[in-house]
Amino acid sequence: MSSSRKSRAAGLPAPSTTLVLDNGADTIKAGFVTGDTTDGPRVIPNYLARDRHRKTYVGSELEKCRDFGELAFRRPVEKGFVVSWDAQKEIWDREFFDDKAPQRCDPSETRLVLAEQPNGLPALQTHCDQMVFEEFGFASYYRGIGPAFNAYQDIQAIFQTPRSPDTPVDVPAEVILLIDSGYSHTTVTPIVQGRPLHQAIRRLDVGGRLMTNYLTRLLSVRHFDMRNETFIANEMKEAVCYVSLDFKGDLEKTWKGTRGERREDYLTGAGIAKDYVLPDSHTTFHGVVREYEPGGDSSRARKAAVATEDVLTLRNERFVVPELLFSPSDIGMRQPGLADLVMQSLSALPIGLWPGLLANIVVVGGNARLSNFIQRLQMELLERVPDECVVRVARPEDPVVSTWLGAAKFAKHEHVERLAVTKQEYDEHGAGWVARKFAAGLGVDA
Amino acid sequence: MNNFGVIEIASTTTKNTPGWAYVPDTGPALPAALQPTNRKRAARNQPALSLSDLSAREENKIRKDLEALDRDNHRDANIAIPPRPAGSKAQNKHTPNVRKILQSQKTFANHLDDYQAMLALAESNPAAAAAMNAAQAKPSTPTAATPKSASPAPAAPSAAGASKRSAAAAKRAAAKEKQEQEKKKARPTPKPGPEPEAEAEPPRPQEQDDVEMTDANNPDAQPAPTPNTEAALQSYPRESLILPAYAKPPPQAHPGDADPLLASYIPPFPTDDELRALMTAPPLSYLEARATWGEEERRYPVRVFCAVCGYWGRVKCMKCGTRVCALECLEAHKEECVTRYGL
Ligand SMILES: [Zn+2]
Ligand SMILES: [Zn+2]
Repeated sequence: MSSSRKSRAAGLPAPSTTLVLDNGADTIKAGFVTGDTTDGPRVIPNYLARDRHRKTYVGSELEKCRDFGELAFRRPVEKGFVVSWDAQKEIWDREFFDDKAPQRCDPSETRLVLAEQPNGLPALQTHCDQMVFEEFGFASYYRGIGPAFNAYQDIQAIFQTPRSPDTPVDVPAEVILLIDSGYSHTTVTPIVQGRPLHQAIRRLDVGGRLMTNYLTRLLSVRHFDMRNETFIANEMKEAVCYVSLDFKGDLEKTWKGTRGERREDYLTGAGIAKDYVLPDSHTTFHGVVREYEPGGDSSRARKAAVATEDVLTLRNERFVVPELLFSPSDIGMRQPGLADLVMQSLSALPIGLWPGLLANIVVVGGNARLSNFIQRLQMELLERVPDECVVRVARPEDPVVSTWLGAAKFAKHEHVERLAVTKQEYDEHGAGWVARKFAAGLGVDA
Repeated sequence: MNNFGVIEIASTTTKNTPGWAYVPDTGPALPAALQPTNRKRAARNQPALSLSDLSAREENKIRKDLEALDRDNHRDANIAIPPRPAGSKAQNKHTPNVRKILQSQKTFANHLDDYQAMLALAESNPAAAAAMNAAQAKPSTPTAATPKSASPAPAAPSAAGASKRSAAAAKRAAAKEKQEQEKKKARPTPKPGPEPEAEAEPPRPQEQDDVEMTDANNPDAQPAPTPNTEAALQSYPRESLILPAYAKPPPQAHPGDADPLLASYIPPFPTDDELRALMTAPPLSYLEARATWGEEERRYPVRVFCAVCGYWGRVKCMKCGTRVCALECLEAHKEECVTRYGL
């Protein structure tokens, strides 16, 4: 560590402004940290989208899109990692570097703190570092895994642990088990004093995209072809899907029954069935959830015909989709569900760390918004751990921007000075050196 | 005209109806190929399914379905980057590295293949792999003349060393997995009795359940006690420099402290050396971090659902093996089945 400090001392002072980016597969979370001021984040679609009138929207231009029917996507991020830099550069240019960019900055006077997914491919990390310095020309830069940034948040506030107002907030938090369930996948990362325990990081390849596609498939088999309506299906997923706390029971309540007769629960909806009104793309552009009309499908169909509405009744689709997080084998995936993923991560660690980690589980990422997510995880973990183990699972108020907020706190912490690399250092030592420095992390004793 | 008969899935409590059968859903019938290794248990759980239950065709269908679920667009969309709006920053000249990156048409899968190939190369020819690595990571900037040896080397392992280690790690993975499974078997089962040296008083109030669900959106949620117990003090080293917070003063005495029913066992805390090793260990590779089925998962039967309505798939189409729940869905399925596979 001392060597890097020396070389920094020889260079320019650190930039006063930091651009903090959590560059996700579905959205970018972006904002600035200047001194004590934190600005943001703005949530920006991280894709090029083309509507059925063949108009293309880049990033936040999607605000101007009205008709989301048949929207097609081109995403720079694949499996959580930036793969297509021509598309990524186009989005970054328009959001951050163009003269009229909504969050304009001059990279030559700015530090970049960039969150990446764990276990990336070295070649893609090198591409990223080369783009940051050789194309954009940032003055200073740190690339670190998103889960670890969450440790710089006030974790005990997320758990609402009582404490006196004068108790100092320990940052980074001592021990966390951080679950990040995003668009591409779901990861489990144990973190001690802000350092991720790399050997115990585990990934489940179930994320928002898989779930939306699964919902799309179910609807296409049962109702009508939604295969080109990913955007609309995604909105529907966010509006109606929930994690079941009693899967067998809920499945029972949503079954129509054998031939002919209809079961009582099916007719009443049993509190599970919901009607979803699809946008007509003329007067309405977003779907609407409605209470299920127990009058039966026929009476509703009559009404719908009059109103020329497309209405879907959603039953087990509401919970079998998020169920993939907890039981991926339901669609033939040979990966453990989330609770077993946590247990596999723990089993790579000394058992003495388990109580601390199990008592401090934080879930972030878009899927954490699914209702009952943390309750189900807690329930399943309790079935797997010793009786006297305390299991606490919580999610921050807005799990989508949690990593960004943590990264923004990190940008103000002294740790960033120890980890960031200057353009001068890159020019002198090369991308391999930068990659090694980032991989080495904080160390323990420094 | 046809034999849309249905395989009868036998079990102890079937209700027989000509041609098909209900199976209690306590142990949903499972495709044998998805249920590896433990034949003894498998045989107990799935009485009527043979190992050939999941045909190559079904296996293939699952694979294709999963691939489709992974896609971003139903159809291949070629979306060109639209022309820049007025007021855009003038494009600077790209460096050779940047030009190469921007022109790359590689997908993530291509990059992953490259990486695995490099690991294999590192195994067989370390020098060649190191050269490949070094060539890739050179800055385009002309000022970058400093030879690698002259740069202040950070604490991390060299790229070549890392890939060599990764290769070795990948090789060890199989052995490790086996080892871990052994370990799991030997894992202290959730019933540590009152051990004399760890007889400790948990800080939990009696009336409170030992479990709390805390949602930041729920202001009523009661946070559970943190594990700063007296027991923690006994077993968590006071001298720990890495996690000093565990040496905070114990909480106030509680009337429940003496209750042997509330006594808990706290496993020994790792030493600073152990922690240091964990905190400085290098990242796993992409594939190493991907979780796979362990013993635990293999033990549970895979659930099977009706392809039409999503209820339990208790009945099987003789023709194609698709699962459905009952007659009504079977009839719905027949139409599609005939279209796809003929009579
Ligand atoms: Zn059915
Ligand atoms: Zn069939």
